[in-house]
Amino acid sequence: MLWQYILDINLRRNGEHMAKDQIISISKFNKLKRSTSLKIKLAVQNISVFYNGKMAVENINMNINQNEVTALIGPSGCGKSTFIRCINRMNDVIENCTVEGKIFFDETNIYDSNVDVVKLRSSIGMVFQKPNPFPKSIYENIVYAPKLHGIINSKSEADELVEKSLTEAGLFEEVKDRLNESGTGLSGGQQQRLCIARAIAVDPSIILMDEPCSSLDPIATAVIEELIDSLKKKRTIIIITHNMQQAARVSEKTAFFHLGKLIEFSNTSTIFTNPKEKRTLGYITGRFG
Amino acid sequence: MSNIIRNDILTPVSSKRTTKEKLFKICGLSAIIFALSMLVILFTTIFSKGYSAFYQTRIKLDINFNEELIDPTGAREITTLNTADYSKLISQSLFKFLNIDKSHPKSSEIKSLISYNSFLTLRDRVLNDPDIIGKTKKINLIASDDVDQMLKGNINISIPEENRKITDFQIEAIEKFKSNGNILTVFNKTLFTKSDSREPEVSGVLGAIIGSFYCLFVAACISVPIGIFAAIFLQEFAKKNKVTDFIEININNLAAVPSIVFGLLGLSVFINFFHLPRSSPIVGGLVLALMSLPTIVIVTRASLLAVPDTIRNGAIALGASKMQAIFNQVLPLATPGICTGVIIALARALGETAPLLMIGMIAFIPDTPIAITDPATALPAQIFMWADHPERAFVERTSAAILILLSFLIVMNAMAIYIRHKFEKKW
Repeated sequence: MLWQYILDINLRRNGEHMAKDQIISISKFNKLKRSTSLKIKLAVQNISVFYNGKMAVENINMNINQNEVTALIGPSGCGKSTFIRCINRMNDVIENCTVEGKIFFDETNIYDSNVDVVKLRSSIGMVFQKPNPFPKSIYENIVYAPKLHGIINSKSEADELVEKSLTEAGLFEEVKDRLNESGTGLSGGQQQRLCIARAIAVDPSIILMDEPCSSLDPIATAVIEELIDSLKKKRTIIIITHNMQQAARVSEKTAFFHLGKLIEFSNTSTIFTNPKEKRTLGYITGRFG
Repeated sequence: MSNIIRNDILTPVSSKRTTKEKLFKICGLSAIIFALSMLVILFTTIFSKGYSAFYQTRIKLDINFNEELIDPTGAREITTLNTADYSKLISQSLFKFLNIDKSHPKSSEIKSLISYNSFLTLRDRVLNDPDIIGKTKKINLIASDDVDQMLKGNINISIPEENRKITDFQIEAIEKFKSNGNILTVFNKTLFTKSDSREPEVSGVLGAIIGSFYCLFVAACISVPIGIFAAIFLQEFAKKNKVTDFIEININNLAAVPSIVFGLLGLSVFINFFHLPRSSPIVGGLVLALMSLPTIVIVTRASLLAVPDTIRNGAIALGASKMQAIFNQVLPLATPGICTGVIIALARALGETAPLLMIGMIAFIPDTPIAITDPATALPAQIFMWADHPERAFVERTSAAILILLSFLIVMNAMAIYIRHKFEKKW
């Protein structure tokens, strides 16, 4: 197991110093050991999605553990985004889109007819590919959802929540003097962290991230990845990425999607070093996709 | 190999291509110059014809408020004061000044120097202050339109007397007034404080402006909410299917329907079926509302479409319902565009004449409308009617009314541009 990790890290950081990697791999190994005792946060059962009757995602089954980062990888159009949108029922707003199957979120099927979608979305936050802060002030961006859900009732509560959310997203120090300036005036990476802060303001237990770094430069990406690492202490994260190194860096589990099907889902180390499926190997080594 | 490529790059750019590009640029530039020069010609003609309507000739007369003529009994009863012959006061004063007798063969020519309606000025003076009776006061009276036009140089006095509107005897009298300093040129307040009249010198656009304003008010009250909500529903909530496609196509068709057809609709539906009062701003407003509805719907939909989906998804992913997402996040972003579209649609409605033709708003209405059910006319209709009058004074008033209408339109369009620049948000 340990050797697999060392191998894995060597694979993604070719040429970096071996000793340093070994230390990292040991700490990762310990983490993994801990995570085996984690409980299942999301249980996806037989999820299929149809657009206009055409199947886009076929019969997905997977369990997602609490306080873990699960990466979804796969070529474009393989149904990753469609699948991730099932988890907070964002597909409901797409016309002619039907979802079959069940997703148990803490033992509740979110596709039950009596589930309050509004509440569901406040406990499953989402961050999009392109940073999409509202063209309002940073402050208003954060307090919009809490106000909507009645979480905050007074100005002092709002101030407190804004500071807490921005701090958790690692943005507070950078923007504390310009909370009343427009959120769209920030840099791309800051905007994305503002979107993360906006999502965690309602304290979701799961955060879905749909290629959160695809429009950011490497430095901003590194900041977001660090943020993901710290977020998982309290929350469960599901992240779509096209960047294999990113998947390897941030996630504990990786799921490989291809043509609407879940091909392989296991520990990140296994996927990247010893994939069972030929297609997975082909994709991670860059032979297709 | 590399030599060939280099030679290829170094050969001069195909002259045919450069000529084509130059030709295109020249075509575009000349089109713009043509359009601009047309605009300049239009404005200069209207302005040069119309500016003189903004001032007016007055004749200062010593009016003797003769008690025997106004109120022989001295009872000061309103009816007596109302019905007294004030025109006689004016003619007496004129004859006295010019030293002629009322039996003079050309005395009627002299009487017509002063606007026919001037007796109303004197009557109002007396009714306001009955103590004036028995005194002599200097009063500025509006000169008749012919005098006004002559002094503005619009009547050629070198042609034979029988071919012009003003006689030699009148010219003589005017010269006498002039040399005594009794001819005044003042700002033409009447143009803005009076409504239509048979006498050009006392006609104004107030009634038309108020009529237009009422029409626009009714049109805005009806078309703006209906148009915006219809557009929000169609764009954001309605399912895309054959029915909505059909509706969409027909809204676009409706925007292209000639406005006179809306006038016919108004006539048959609002007047003949609902029996709303003819010639009233409420009917005009309803017709203009129908006419601007498709434009407002189209513009609102375009503004909503311009708001990126990421904003909607962002709000929905935070747990907002679809309606909350649209009303809290999307609509505020679309508002500048919607406002601009609404103002432009209403500006078009303000300048519309044809539908008003069908519902009787093109009529001689000398009273200023008070309620939206009173008979009224509108600015473009007033222009249309004045353009029909043969009097030279109405020609300049037509141009003046056009200037007033244009200034309203310019203000509205400027407002639209201002709103767009001030409130538009970038993301």
